Amino acid sequence: MFELLIRSRKFLIGTAIVLAIILFAIIGPALTRDPLAYSSHYVEPPSNEFLLGTGNFGEDVLAQLCTGTRNSLMIGAIAGGLAMLIAVLVGGIGPYKGGLVDEIANAFTNVVMVFPMLPLLILLAAIFETRSMFLLALLIGLTSWPWAARCIRSQVLTLKERGFIDVARMSGMKDRKIVVAEIMPNMLAYIIVVFVVSLSIAVLTEAGLSMIGLGPDPSTSVTLGSMLYWVMNSTQAALPWDLWWCFIPPGLILTIFLVAVFIMHNGMDEVFNPRLRRV
Amino acid sequence: MPGNPIDQMIPPGTTDVGRLRLKAELARYFGLDKSLGEQYINFWSNLLRGDLGYAVMRRYSFMPVANAIMSRLPYTLALVIPVLFIGFFLGNWIGARAAYAKGKKSDAIYFLSVITSQMPFYWFAMVLLFLLAVNARILPTGGTFSPRFIPSFDVASFLDALSHYTLPFLTLLIITTGGWATGMRSMTLYELDSGYILYSRQLGFRNKKLGSYAERNAILPQFTGLNINLNNLIGMTMIIEMVFAWDGIGMLTLDAIRSRDYFMMLGTFLVTMIVVILGNFLVDVAYAFLDPRIRTGTSG
Repeated sequence: MFELLIRSRKFLIGTAIVLAIILFAIIGPALTRDPLAYSSHYVEPPSNEFLLGTGNFGEDVLAQLCTGTRNSLMIGAIAGGLAMLIAVLVGGIGPYKGGLVDEIANAFTNVVMVFPMLPLLILLAAIFETRSMFLLALLIGLTSWPWAARCIRSQVLTLKERGFIDVARMSGMKDRKIVVAEIMPNMLAYIIVVFVVSLSIAVLTEAGLSMIGLGPDPSTSVTLGSMLYWVMNSTQAALPWDLWWCFIPPGLILTIFLVAVFIMHNGMDEVFNPRLRRV
Repeated sequence: MPGNPIDQMIPPGTTDVGRLRLKAELARYFGLDKSLGEQYINFWSNLLRGDLGYAVMRRYSFMPVANAIMSRLPYTLALVIPVLFIGFFLGNWIGARAAYAKGKKSDAIYFLSVITSQMPFYWFAMVLLFLLAVNARILPTGGTFSPRFIPSFDVASFLDALSHYTLPFLTLLIITTGGWATGMRSMTLYELDSGYILYSRQLGFRNKKLGSYAERNAILPQFTGLNINLNNLIGMTMIIEMVFAWDGIGMLTLDAIRSRDYFMMLGTFLVTMIVVILGNFLVDVAYAFLDPRIRTGTSG
């Protein structure tokens, strides 16, 4: 499976871009100045001193971009990890056990799936007075798992029918051992990609919530969404939308990240469903 | 919960003594002096009678929440319904055509549709706003009508609303169209590669005929996608409304959050849920008309 993934051009390009952005988020904050430090250069366009210009209170947009990407990815990783955990439990155990357990797990997934996630998150986030990045990640993780659960479920269903699982069962292997030793290794690549997609959805949601002021406190924590929040609530210019250097970078990096994740997922899909492959 | 809706109702100039008395009086009036359990029962009994409480926020002071929401709901539906249908037909049409493109052109279409569908929609709204409203000054930056414009049922009001409507509509339409096109392209490719098409090609069917067979099968999974698309679209519309200050449910929710109007917040959420469930139901019914295989289950 892994050799096939390596050969997929889409998967490779997508993964390379995702890794590049993660690297940027890890190294960036160490090389730039304090993203929250004020300076006397209010809303200045890009210059040699401030490569991407400055924000409302003279903050360095480049520094905010690095730290914001890091924080957003961290929120995404926690939320995506939580979503993944619930998805593996609900979507993995159901089809493996079959029968009533599967029925209940599947019905539960479908019911949660019908819930429109964004209005629910808006309501949940508004209930809390202050929201830390961790709390927001928890809220996003708790509401965004149904999609991942479906993916895992369908993959377990196809794996379950394979011969080697039957052989393992006939040879008297215990359920837990079959899951750990036979199913998981075959699911690993799949689970990782589903995790990355969950992460990207969480990052997208976080930025949207923070932008309308329902994220972590924008004056103390920098995320990609808080950068957009300050553009929408700018006090410096009569028309805040004139500050293109403030809102183009966070959105652009988000777009590149989301597109890369999509292409990666698409490439993986083609490997797992060979009929989708076409030159 | 942050803040207290009662505090918001008391006029700013009230003296301390007056404030205490008003507070007690308002708490008694809204039944907030009762125990939590009683309040909860009250909430449900009122809800089942269609009473969502009273608005606290300035704009709708003491108006029943249900009335305030109903006055804003048409604005949201005016965005959601056309975007859902136009986006579906336009996106699937583009996607089906894109499946036949070859080489560089195919790659270009693929990337364009992926980028439009994956882009953060709220950011795309800002970009459009920046390009068309701030730089080119073709369209207004936000609101439902121009400031100091008194809307009525005439051509001028309609044109004014239309110019404000264009940007949020375009944003949502482009994003959803991209999503449909990406899905339809890969579904059509999948069908074009399947046995019945290859066999028909061997028999000498024309390409046009083959395409129509493939597309009919490719569009079925797209219809099932309508449910999830509707759910996403409602959430997207709420945030897009906040960006463009379009007077729908989303903007109402944001105003309610800002003025800590919990009745209103809960009310908008409930109405959104009802809209989504009704929409899902209608899509399911429509699906039975389109795919005869679904209908057979009901007859037996």
